[in-house]
Amino acid sequence: MNPILKIAALPALVLAFSSGAHAAGSHSGGHHGGKAMGEPGNAGNVSRTVEVTMRDNYYEPESIHVQPGETIRFKVTNEGGLVHEFNIGTADMHEAHQDEMQMMVEHGVLKGDHINHDMMNMDMGNGHSMKHDDPNSLLMEPGESREIIWKFTNATDLEFACNVPGHYQAGMYGDIKIDSTVAAKDRVEGESDSESVQ
Amino acid sequence: MSRIRSFVTVSLLGALILPVAATAKEMIADTTERKQALTSWGIQFEEFEYRYSDDDEELGVWNADIFYGTDDLKVRWLTKGEYAIEEQAYEQLENQLVGQVPISTFFDAKAGVRFDTPEGPDRTYAVLGVAGLAPQWFEIDANLYVSDEGDTSAELDAEYELLLTNYWILAATLDATVAFSEDREIGVGKGLVSTETGLRLSYDLIDRSFSPYVGVVHERKYGDTADFAEEEGGGTEDWFAVVGARISF
Amino acid sequence: MNKGFLVAILAGLMPLPLLAGEYDISVDRVQIDTGDFVKEGIGYNGASPGPVLRFKEGEEVTINVTNNLDEMTSIHWHGLILPFEQDGVPGISFPGIKPGETFTYQFPVVQNGTYWFHSHSGFQEPDGAFGAIVIEPEGREPFRYDREYVVQLTDKHPHSGDRIMRNLKMMPDYYNRQQQTVGEFFSDASQNGLMNTLRDRMAWGGMRMMKADVEDVQGFTGMINGKGPEQNWTGLFEPGERIRLRFINSSAMTYFDVRIPGLDMTVVQADGNNVQPVNVDEFRIGVAETYDVIVRPKDAQAYTIFAESMGRSGYARATLAPEEGMEASVPPMREPARLTMADMSGMHGMDHGGMDHGDMSASDGMDQTAMAGMDHSGMANMDHSSMAGMDHGAMAGGDGKASDPFYAKGSGITPVAANGGKFLSYADLKAQKPLYEEREPTREIELRLTGNMERYTWSINGVKYEDADPIRLNYGERVRFKFVNETMMTHPMHLHGMWSILDVGAGEWNPIKHTVNVQPGTTVYMETEVDAPGQWAFHCHLSYHAAAGMFRKVIVEGGPQSSQANSSAATKQGGGA
Repeated sequence: MNPILKIAALPALVLAFSSGAHAAGSHSGGHHGGKAMGEPGNAGNVSRTVEVTMRDNYYEPESIHVQPGETIRFKVTNEGGLVHEFNIGTADMHEAHQDEMQMMVEHGVLKGDHINHDMMNMDMGNGHSMKHDDPNSLLMEPGESREIIWKFTNATDLEFACNVPGHYQAGMYGDIKIDSTVAAKDRVEGESDSESVQ
Repeated sequence: MSRIRSFVTVSLLGALILPVAATAKEMIADTTERKQALTSWGIQFEEFEYRYSDDDEELGVWNADIFYGTDDLKVRWLTKGEYAIEEQAYEQLENQLVGQVPISTFFDAKAGVRFDTPEGPDRTYAVLGVAGLAPQWFEIDANLYVSDEGDTSAELDAEYELLLTNYWILAATLDATVAFSEDREIGVGKGLVSTETGLRLSYDLIDRSFSPYVGVVHERKYGDTADFAEEEGGGTEDWFAVVGARISF
Repeated sequence: MNKGFLVAILAGLMPLPLLAGEYDISVDRVQIDTGDFVKEGIGYNGASPGPVLRFKEGEEVTINVTNNLDEMTSIHWHGLILPFEQDGVPGISFPGIKPGETFTYQFPVVQNGTYWFHSHSGFQEPDGAFGAIVIEPEGREPFRYDREYVVQLTDKHPHSGDRIMRNLKMMPDYYNRQQQTVGEFFSDASQNGLMNTLRDRMAWGGMRMMKADVEDVQGFTGMINGKGPEQNWTGLFEPGERIRLRFINSSAMTYFDVRIPGLDMTVVQADGNNVQPVNVDEFRIGVAETYDVIVRPKDAQAYTIFAESMGRSGYARATLAPEEGMEASVPPMREPARLTMADMSGMHGMDHGGMDHGDMSASDGMDQTAMAGMDHSGMANMDHSSMAGMDHGAMAGGDGKASDPFYAKGSGITPVAANGGKFLSYADLKAQKPLYEEREPTREIELRLTGNMERYTWSINGVKYEDADPIRLNYGERVRFKFVNETMMTHPMHLHGMWSILDVGAGEWNPIKHTVNVQPGTTVYMETEVDAPGQWAFHCHLSYHAAAGMFRKVIVEGGPQSSQANSSAATKQGGGA
């Protein structure tokens, strides 16, 4: 596709994004739960690190227990061959975010196995771009390893999910269970070696 | 990703250890039906009908085509008859046995013999013809005949089907015969001999294997042929109401 | 040395498969009840469709097939990678199974996913001789679901296969009840003008081609898992569950457009090979193809699985419901498709001279550039980086017209989703994990798909199977096949024994299939790693096209001897699919 054509198509995307960002609940205090689902945490308050591995197309582990108010460092590694996302939110937020991701695919920003960074960072005026830099989300290429620190509230029904089109529907999501009664040691279900307490 | 490498290695090993597999391994030849030419057969009665003329003549008429063969060669038995019910006699009885081969995308050539054995003198003809689908969906069957008496004639059949719906079909037919020499004995004069035009409205009742119809048929004799008919006290023109069925199986 | 001892040692040295399953299949005359009619047919273990065979990747399977018919039979394991003697094609893999005999198939299962099996003898497959194969992977599936169902489609016809073939040979339009009528002429005339309509009819009549030639064999009842629309096969679910539906098109002749109104479908597998998930509203499943989709019904209501034939002459219907007996409304079928001049563009030697293109486009809404002959070869050369992620299927024209790079531009059979949403395109299919290393093909083989509708002859490069020499491939090469469809019908081309890497322009992410649809007036490329010695069938999977001659034998020359091939195939394809 001609890059000029792509740019011409971008304003629509920017519009969609600027409204979509709220829907995705990326900014605390947003319309959909906002603070209820937690906020970016401080490194100093981190109680433990949870390692999450991305594969094509699923996570290991697929379920995580946290305590209300706990700040967790997620160390996420993409060991798959495709681009994946790690996004904390409710099912509704994920659904809204999937539309944006679909648009990123349609506009050539998001490829199966890599991200077109030039396209993504392109300034489209008004300070808008297609940057995927929400604090509750990581968008990662194969081989990448990154961290996110998140402070949870007592909100339930949270999931971590990959909203690359089709991936969530295929089952690339995990449950975040807010559970104060569970002892810290048993907080991670599934593969116990994916957890390391700091 | 090591798949390619592994199978290249295997093939190298294979080449070293074993003689070439294609020769070492006996592979069967395909002698199944699939490898043979597909043979097919069919029986179609284009006309199988009762005719009632404007001067109260009653006829039983059929026009059928039975074939067996492959795409490259078919044998066809074409049979036509007009049986006068009152007289209990065949006004027309014609059987053709022809071999048929494709000559173009839409046309076949035919060659064979035709036996006419109606009431009265018989004739045997050599037949050469083409049959196929002309542009705009006209079914064409054109034949050249040479009789055992040395007379030549030609016949053209054309048919067009108009789909009123996918089940109600109006078929128009034209059958014209031209003689290049006179055969007085069977009442054929030189020139345009006769035409038969028909219009039949059919309904496909059971698939395309049983389609009852009603229609009208107009028969006319021309020129010397008409004169011969008149001399013998026959008519030169007839209108028929017909009822019958197209049958195939 | 004792011979037995030697054998024992050798046996000890051989890596034994961890799993070994034995299965018994009988080939029987059965009654098939479609709800519309009851018909004598052929089935397996007393029923049509036959059983769902559940294998496990890595297993060595032994299948005893007993022929209870009074004619020869065979079973072909469609899409399975196995030694050629086990492939089940009479005259190519083996002689066939005689009446009363039991033939034992034995092969390692080196892949996973959804496949099927069917007779490769005569017209036994259209007569009902087929079943499903589900192979569980060695590791975990790369997707999640709570339950799964096989959804096996077929087009059950009241006539036997032999009868259908004979009727088609006698009258090629015997089963076509969607032909253009006088009524359609007048409605077209009022819409497009009398002269345009006349010219249109003259152009098609001049070619002696029918716009309505989308489906050769109509008059069937669409069935799902052996149930007709009225019998309504029902799959149960709990609201909120993810369901994996394994669609298999076991039809003799019919392509189906599948949708589940109210549910999004995520395609996760095509022809047994995982693909990068694609969310769709509807997809077209070619004859012999399989697609696995995941759906997630959240509400406690019934949903209709609706599969309309591509030409809209029939449909199959089933239901997903929380309880037995619940059903949702069944949508009406859409208008029958009509071919356009774009679909004819592959034909050579046609006289286009008499046609007034300008008026044609007026009456057909078609793009004249399509007449020049479509060739998607350009796709393969396009910059991968700008293609891979593009959502081709969604690139509909601004006027809402259908668009799919795998159909001729302006084609009359380009699919459109019933709800205006996303219709799956081949261009959307990307391998989840490349099976083979990307490399340059060693050579290209052109296969023109040819035929004559009026004679009902079908061929490749103008030559029918009966007159054709085998296609010879060399073990170890990577062949690029170029399919050029010069007919006005769609052909699902199926190569046995080796994967078809469909060129969708995604390079190493090109999807791996066993059956590749080639639409009228288009050129499609696929590549094959020639990694299976022996001889194999390669044909159009429309039963009556294959029988009429659109069929080839492929001989793979060189390579390890067959016994060696067995074990090497096992290691080679180990992590397959």
